[in-house]
Amino acid sequence: MKRTLNFNIFRYNPQDPASHPHMEAYTLQETAGMTLFIALNQIRELQAPSLAFDFVCRAGVCGSCSMLINGRPRLACRTLTESLPDTITLLPLPTFELIADLSVNSGKWMRAMSERLETWVHSVEETDLDRIELPMDPDLAEHIYELDRCIECGCCVTACGTAQMREDFIGAVGINKIARFKADPRDQRNDQDYYAVVGDDDGVFGCMSLLGCQDVCPKELSLQTQIAYIRRKMAFAGL
Amino acid sequence: MKMMITKHPSAWPARFDLMQSATGLFLALFMWLHMFFVSSILLGKDAMWTVARFFEGYFFFGTNFPLLVSGFVALIFSLIIIHSALALRKFPANWKQYSRFWQHMRSMRHADTTLWLVQVVTGFIMFFLASVHLYVMLSRPELIGPYASADRVWSLRMWPLYLLLLFAVELHGAVGLYRLAIKWGWFDRGDPQSTRRRLKTAKWIMSIFFLVLGLATLAAYIKIGIDHSANVGELYTPSWMEVQQ
Amino acid sequence: MKLIYTDVLVIGGGLAGMRTAIGVKRRGLDTLVLSLVPAKRSHSVAAQGGMQASLANCVKAAGDNEDIHFQDTVRGSDWGCDQQVARMFTHMAPKAVRELAAWGVPWNRVRKGEHEVVINGQRVTLTAPAKAHGLITARDFGGTKKWRTCYTSDGTGHAMLYTLGDQAVAASIPVEERKEAMALIHDQGRCYGAVVRDLISGELSAYLAKATVMATGGYGRIYGVSTNAIINEGIGQALALETGVARLANMEAVQFHPTAIVPAGILVTEGCRGDGGLLRDKDGHRFMPDYEPDKKELASRDVVSRRMAEHMRKGKGVASPYGDHLWLDITVLGEAHINKNLREVKDICQYFLGIDPSKEWIPVRPTQHYSMGGIRTDYRGESPWLSGLFACGEVACWDMHGFNRLGGNSVAETVVSGMLVSEYIADFCQKPENDLTVSTHLAAEFLQRETDKLKRLFTSSGDENAVAIRKRMEQILMEKVGLFRNGEHLREAVEELQQLLIRSRQISVASQAQGANPELVLAYRLPRMLKIAIGIALGALQRTESRGAHYREDHPERNDRDWLNRTLCHWNSEDDTLPVLDYEPLDVNTMELPPGFRGYGTKNIIEHPATEARQTQVDRITEAAPSDLNEQLMPFRHLLPEKYRGDNERLEDSNP
Ligand SMILES: Cc1cc2nc3c(=O)[nH]c(=O)nc-3n(C[C@H](O)[C@H](O)[C@H](O)COP(=O)(O)OP(=O)(O)OC[C@H]3O[C@@H](n4cnc5c(N)ncnc54)[C@H](O)[C@@H]3O)c2cc1C
Ligand code: HEM
Ligand code: HEM
Ligand code: SF4
Ligand code: F3S
Ligand code: FES
Repeated sequence: MKRTLNFNIFRYNPQDPASHPHMEAYTLQETAGMTLFIALNQIRELQAPSLAFDFVCRAGVCGSCSMLINGRPRLACRTLTESLPDTITLLPLPTFELIADLSVNSGKWMRAMSERLETWVHSVEETDLDRIELPMDPDLAEHIYELDRCIECGCCVTACGTAQMREDFIGAVGINKIARFKADPRDQRNDQDYYAVVGDDDGVFGCMSLLGCQDVCPKELSLQTQIAYIRRKMAFAGL
Repeated sequence: MKMMITKHPSAWPARFDLMQSATGLFLALFMWLHMFFVSSILLGKDAMWTVARFFEGYFFFGTNFPLLVSGFVALIFSLIIIHSALALRKFPANWKQYSRFWQHMRSMRHADTTLWLVQVVTGFIMFFLASVHLYVMLSRPELIGPYASADRVWSLRMWPLYLLLLFAVELHGAVGLYRLAIKWGWFDRGDPQSTRRRLKTAKWIMSIFFLVLGLATLAAYIKIGIDHSANVGELYTPSWMEVQQ
Repeated sequence: MKLIYTDVLVIGGGLAGMRTAIGVKRRGLDTLVLSLVPAKRSHSVAAQGGMQASLANCVKAAGDNEDIHFQDTVRGSDWGCDQQVARMFTHMAPKAVRELAAWGVPWNRVRKGEHEVVINGQRVTLTAPAKAHGLITARDFGGTKKWRTCYTSDGTGHAMLYTLGDQAVAASIPVEERKEAMALIHDQGRCYGAVVRDLISGELSAYLAKATVMATGGYGRIYGVSTNAIINEGIGQALALETGVARLANMEAVQFHPTAIVPAGILVTEGCRGDGGLLRDKDGHRFMPDYEPDKKELASRDVVSRRMAEHMRKGKGVASPYGDHLWLDITVLGEAHINKNLREVKDICQYFLGIDPSKEWIPVRPTQHYSMGGIRTDYRGESPWLSGLFACGEVACWDMHGFNRLGGNSVAETVVSGMLVSEYIADFCQKPENDLTVSTHLAAEFLQRETDKLKRLFTSSGDENAVAIRKRMEQILMEKVGLFRNGEHLREAVEELQQLLIRSRQISVASQAQGANPELVLAYRLPRMLKIAIGIALGALQRTESRGAHYREDHPERNDRDWLNRTLCHWNSEDDTLPVLDYEPLDVNTMELPPGFRGYGTKNIIEHPATEARQTQVDRITEAAPSDLNEQLMPFRHLLPEKYRGDNERLEDSNP
């Protein structure tokens, strides 16, 4: 403990004509239990009042705070500085539109993804809310929840070399969504319908099994398994 | 809120993806056999001679049909062309894509990502080197044998090409098979992450085993080639035939 | 000048805002949602525990119904709530859960056969009947008689918000992210929309609508330490306050949760103590039995929080760079139990503290958690003072929580109020007299006012530091308007907060960036937060009794005689430093459940003169057991939209 931390932080505000992209250095005294959330706020309070970054829940559940921490995408709020070396380099996620400094517009990307993949339960019936709900197998419900746990943080997209090269690639997040809805009997789409949204090289066939997604997902979703599963189903549907 | 299918998607992406994997799988399995056949030289010149004649149908028809080999080479060649053409879709399409991948790979320091570039580079290398090799095999199939091959390796200076090709194919093939298993979720029962760790170990063992085998084989050819350098062009006669004469 | 027209402008993309937008869209209205952050990142996503609804599917919920849920809610509120609204709410909650189930929330389900649970530290085997297999199950939560809290593992809010967010995409509802409402446009008691700032480009525009809905969540972040998301700064409440017309209610009712970790302030679930975890002080001493020999660590939320604070005041807290704390010891539960049943707690400890809770103690302290008060609305969600302004969710004081809300009732409120309020809004918008007739002149005027304010911040020569003022505000609220309150401290707080408000008018902003500019954002939000802070402190100062979460050391009794009422708060003029408070009485004579004893500590109540007579009346009616008991005690169904008036079916109804 009692380390002095050296931060190298990307600074650039596209809205400010005086600003140009560069790295800026800050130093900070480490304290016990310091997370990057605490550290960045201290830097902003005392050294750089205009430093932009995004935190919302600061508890690792909302997916706002992903950034490149020493090169890898992670949730900053739940990264303890003691797990990092003395020198900490912070960059915004490169795959998303830059807002300023460490803040990126991943929400916009995710919304577009949702629209494209139609990530909602497609059903025609109106439910009678006075009646007892339809039963669902308890294991199936838990399985759906496991796939539903994605927080749309974008780490998987940034960790994916394919997504780096091809802007339209839907990423592990999108493929996992399809797996989630495919598992859900309330969604009445069939495999042909899913093929229509992920059955191409910007969809599941674009994935080159690089597994960066699997290794960075903060929710430890079974992305590898889900992508393989959807690939099998879609390859079959395509034949 | 049932979706209406408005676009009728093409089935080709699915087919291409399957073909890519199928050709890759076939080639990788073929290369295992290939390595074993070629390394028959380690068991002696006779062994190698037997294997070579075997493929020319000698033991079926009592005479050699090198055209059989040419035909097979042509098949492999076309598979490689198809496989490469499909793989080309995944290559970085321009400098921007390449440099983004490069930067990404450097910053991630992530094995499976780095290995992909290894695949691309080795694939690229093979595209040229394998073509040369295959052209030779295609055009002069009868010149496969302990002396002819050794002369080609040594006296015709093919060994640097083979050395490169060896590394390329063993890395590329093993990584490719590993990726294939991941991609389609093979062996994925129970805990996928431990499966993945095991696959990765298997992949390294595969590469190293075939590299060692290949290097030994190449050394054997080189040794024979050096010894035989005075008589380049002479074909090998199996020992039992010599005894008969 | 950029003008955007819509029928219903929804400000806030949490559970409440999303459900409202979907509701009005389904009624054929044009709508638009604004949110500071991508909607799915709203604070609602953090709710873990669950959502209360009396489905009565699981074994320990047998016999549950709207009546029991209603009674729990009213008791929980310490009789401070609006009982008609509580009735409407408990009637709607099962419908809300079932609707969400149909829309995709993967609620955990009942599994038939035997399973083991831990109740009061004892292992008990329960047997679920086959007919309940696959129906939505529930877990136990504080302050409820039955197991009533529906859940999806430990991510209920997440599953709910994602489902609603996806449904909004399905309904093509535009959600404008990173947009901040800066002022409500209003004239002569009618609200017409809002001035909105784009947090990326910095551009201001006017959004004009027939109805404007505030769904901006709570104000936890004006406290130094809060379990809330950091965007919960009370801006929605402040914007309503700044109209000078709309009123806030019960701002002094602020809930603290006993166990949030230090320093991050992240909640660790009550389940830790439920399963047998202990609270310890700096000497390792288990202190709760000294204060509450009966219920110990498992006394109600507000009681445990107060005892912890009391103990730390005695110097028994553990000093840390982030202030004093106590220990939560769950090592006693054993590693296996923690890995299986308290996975989330383990993760939080690992990621945020770098400790293993099966080996080490967890540093915790009581932390601000929930805002019961907010924009006062009638049962339709509309401000009685500012027509066309609606509010729902945590930002509102619709008033089903009174002075203390039950766990699990809040996410339920957001969705239920979204369902109801969207219907009332649609009715409102369909009346010809409510057509949008605002002059662009008015919009221009409000836009200009906000533009000028921002310009002033950029050019101000003031030398006040926003960060310092904010820190001081947070500190005052924690120390003087926290768990324990007394007249002296509250007076000091009100005094100093006013000083801070005056100082905050001298803040200047160094960074000239027009778009993303956190310095600017803090500068314009801070005076708003201070107004809310003053509202809380002043409300607490004047309310000389203890009710629910509001605890006055100098007035420990609940005083129904003088304080069975709701605090209302409005702000007269921009230059003022104090709001005006007045009080709206709660009518004992119409209550279905007249004021009584909550059952914690010793009974310390000054009765309302009308309570006894009303109780007798209620008893008489109940004894006669008429078929329309509800109607006779306290009619509420007529207030509901027609389509939601039906009875809720339960398993016991289908198999008599
Ligand atoms: C840690 C934690 C756990 C909880 N667990 C539970 C639980 O288990 N069960 C339960 O019932 N309750 C729980 N609660 C309470 C519950 O989560 C909240 O009360 C509820 O989610 C509030 O929802 P909301 O829609 O009203 O507001 P929020 O979800 O806070 O949404 C507010 C929205 O308003 C937007 N907004 C704010 N200001 C502006 C502005 N000026 N302009 C534009 N947009 C704006 C924000 O961007 C956001 O989209 C918990 C709370 C906490 C802190
Ligand atoms: C000659 C022997 C070859 C073998 C044994 C072989 C084997 C394989 C295998 C097994 C795969 C995995 C397939 C998949 O993921 O779907 C693969 C992928 C690949 N191959 Fe080859 N290949 C060979 C030649 C080539 C050549 C000549 C090229 C280059 C032009 C090439 C480029 C690639 C690329 C880029 C991939 C990755 C494709 C992807 O990730 O989807 N390969 N190869
Ligand atoms: C049907 C097709 C093929 C035939 C018949 C064939 C045949 C041979 C033969 C006879 C040799 C011995 C050396 C020689 O005679 O020159 C050899 C060596 C070699 N071949 Fe092939 N080959 C085929 C395809 C391939 C392919 C596709 C590759 C790789 C992409 C490859 C890679 C090599 C290598 C690396 C060696 C050197 C051996 C070593 O180092 O052990 N071959 N091949
Ligand atoms: S899949 Fe994982 S990494 Fe990707 S967005 Fe979801 S939570 Fe983040
Ligand atoms: S990193 Fe990318 S290539 Fe596929 S396996 Fe993951 S999506
Ligand atoms: S701030 Fe929500 S995940 Fe980090």
